[in-house]
Amino acid sequence: MSRPTRTRFDTLSLHAGQRPDPVHGARAVPVYQTASYVFRNSDHAASLFNMERPGHAYSRLSNPTTAVLEERMAALEDGIGGIATASGQATLHLAIATIMGAGSHIVSSSAIYGGSHNLMQYTLPRFGIETTFVSPRDIDGIRNAIRPDTRLIFGETIGNPGNDIMNIPVVAEIAHEHRIPLMIDSTFTTPYLMKPFEHGANLIMHSATKFLCGHGTVIGGVLVDHGRFDWEGSGKFDTLSEPYPGFHNMIFDEEMSQGAFLLRARREGMRDFGACMAPTVAFYVLQGVETLSLRMQRHVDNTRKIIEFLQSSDQVKEISYPELPEHPDYELSKTLLPRGAGSIFSFSLSGGRKAGQALTEGLDVFSHLANVGDAKSLVIHPASTTHHRMSKTDLEKAGITEGTIRLSVGLEDPDDLIEDLSKGLHIAKKAISA
Amino acid sequence: MHIALDNAQYYAYTGTRELNPVLETVVFVHGASMDHSVWSHQSRYFAYHGYNVLALDLPGHRHSQGRLLSKIEDMAEWAVRILDRTPCRAIHLVGHSMGALTALETASMFNSDKHFLKSLSLVGFSYPMSVAPALMKEAKENPSKAFSMMTEWSHASKTGGEPVPGFWATGMQMSMMENNDKHAIYCNLQACDNYSGGEQAFKKIKCPVLFVSGKLDKMAPARLAMRIADKNNNATIELIPGCGHNLMFESPDGVLDSLKRFIGK
Repeated sequence: MSRPTRTRFDTLSLHAGQRPDPVHGARAVPVYQTASYVFRNSDHAASLFNMERPGHAYSRLSNPTTAVLEERMAALEDGIGGIATASGQATLHLAIATIMGAGSHIVSSSAIYGGSHNLMQYTLPRFGIETTFVSPRDIDGIRNAIRPDTRLIFGETIGNPGNDIMNIPVVAEIAHEHRIPLMIDSTFTTPYLMKPFEHGANLIMHSATKFLCGHGTVIGGVLVDHGRFDWEGSGKFDTLSEPYPGFHNMIFDEEMSQGAFLLRARREGMRDFGACMAPTVAFYVLQGVETLSLRMQRHVDNTRKIIEFLQSSDQVKEISYPELPEHPDYELSKTLLPRGAGSIFSFSLSGGRKAGQALTEGLDVFSHLANVGDAKSLVIHPASTTHHRMSKTDLEKAGITEGTIRLSVGLEDPDDLIEDLSKGLHIAKKAISA
Repeated sequence: MHIALDNAQYYAYTGTRELNPVLETVVFVHGASMDHSVWSHQSRYFAYHGYNVLALDLPGHRHSQGRLLSKIEDMAEWAVRILDRTPCRAIHLVGHSMGALTALETASMFNSDKHFLKSLSLVGFSYPMSVAPALMKEAKENPSKAFSMMTEWSHASKTGGEPVPGFWATGMQMSMMENNDKHAIYCNLQACDNYSGGEQAFKKIKCPVLFVSGKLDKMAPARLAMRIADKNNNATIELIPGCGHNLMFESPDGVLDSLKRFIGK
């Protein structure tokens, strides 16, 4: 036998998880728009529900189209499997609810998406789960925040709004010293720019709404497990290592050693919380994943050109992008993100709120909205929109200035984007001098 | 359940059910650097359809303590001693790859009043089970490379599309191997390569034997299993289309249906 070779990223992006439809020969992944599936007989039905046979019984639990996406994402992340959910938020909730309950604690990066922050800061405490937020750059702070009841460390590959990069290898080591997993939100980077499992993370989540789908057309999330965390050996995860009365006293860790987490997440989390991804959504996300590497590289290339342009403007005071030497995570970025530090960044504009508002409203190619990771370029001025009620002091506490502009650079011709920004800067200058 | 033997605790999956001495018992043995959960679907089915199940973790693998064993004969002797500590009498032995060699050797040792061998099923089996020198070298010097080689060789499809929703077979196998003792792979492959008792073992076996092979198996080619099956009057052979050596995951239903037809006879 000749030495085998592993299938490479771009091939997996197009093929993983799917074989051409054996009935009709369809090459594209078919959309199995069905809620349920016909059983061969009663014994087959009972076997499906009792996990004696693989297959689909009801689309809240699994669906052939979403299964392709789940398997494909697991392949791209070097994981063992995945679960597609209704949104990125549903993914985070599913992961947390699978491994902990009331009386548990999370240590989370403070530089995270606002929705994730809301869930952990305001909602989960009502269900008895507390969170301590720590700057991702404060390694000692992360270590010191861990308590006996801590069950998870959570962070993002690239944080918000300062593009803080979590030192995943170091934080993973801390997590594992305490026999708890590290979960990483990899939405901003996708597996093309970084594979957090290679650096020690145990669980990965994506808001598939962003770069995976890539076209701003659907809402979805994906959770991927590396299958290396020893849930039973940790002694801290009863949901996976003790009999579960809700499924015939199944002990998930015994049932499927490395798949225990995903098994419970699907068999309990999808069954009971029900935040499943629709098959049509999975189809749209798969279309995006097929071109992931091409798009991500173009996103990064365009971003670098735009930053070069902004650096030449005397109206731009500060640019927060990890590839710039003045960024606090410049060195870490070179190690963890050699292909590029993504396409979302912020810069500070002279002239405060008035200038920021004028610039965003003066752009044509950039769309003024609250999203990131679209094929189209996006812009937002937090001080006049998402954070408009906050004072200058409160904004500064959140790492934002009155003139902060956030861009999510898309796939348009970079010269058009630069012309658009040039025009916007001119309008901003006129606005403050008026 | 855990079974105590020689000051160590050994694990056997039972489908979280109590063993019933009245029922026949299906004993599953995993392959090199794997664990009991390779039989996840098949073992669970039998546990809920009128059989006891013991899906073993071999010594030093996953939940079982004890030192790694480097001879098939030692694994078989261990298996017999483990069965001696259970109330199970009528036994169906099922093994995959190295576990199939172990099941074969175990079957040849059945001469106790305590047990009665009803059948033997050899999945992903070949004899001799020679190991490619390149693989053996990596197993000794660089286990993670050996995991990768075995994983790639074990699957018919390099891009998945397996029937278990949401799971990526390549990742599952890599993870299972990495989660085991890193020395297990070399120890296990040595055991396969050195085993020479197969012909003698077959001569001692009186019960029906089933061979189940993936048609596209590169690790234990189906033709080798067929050649041996042809020499055995008691043998049945089942070929599973579209899958390779990791056939319990690539075709869980195919393997289960083969075992059901055979064991349920």
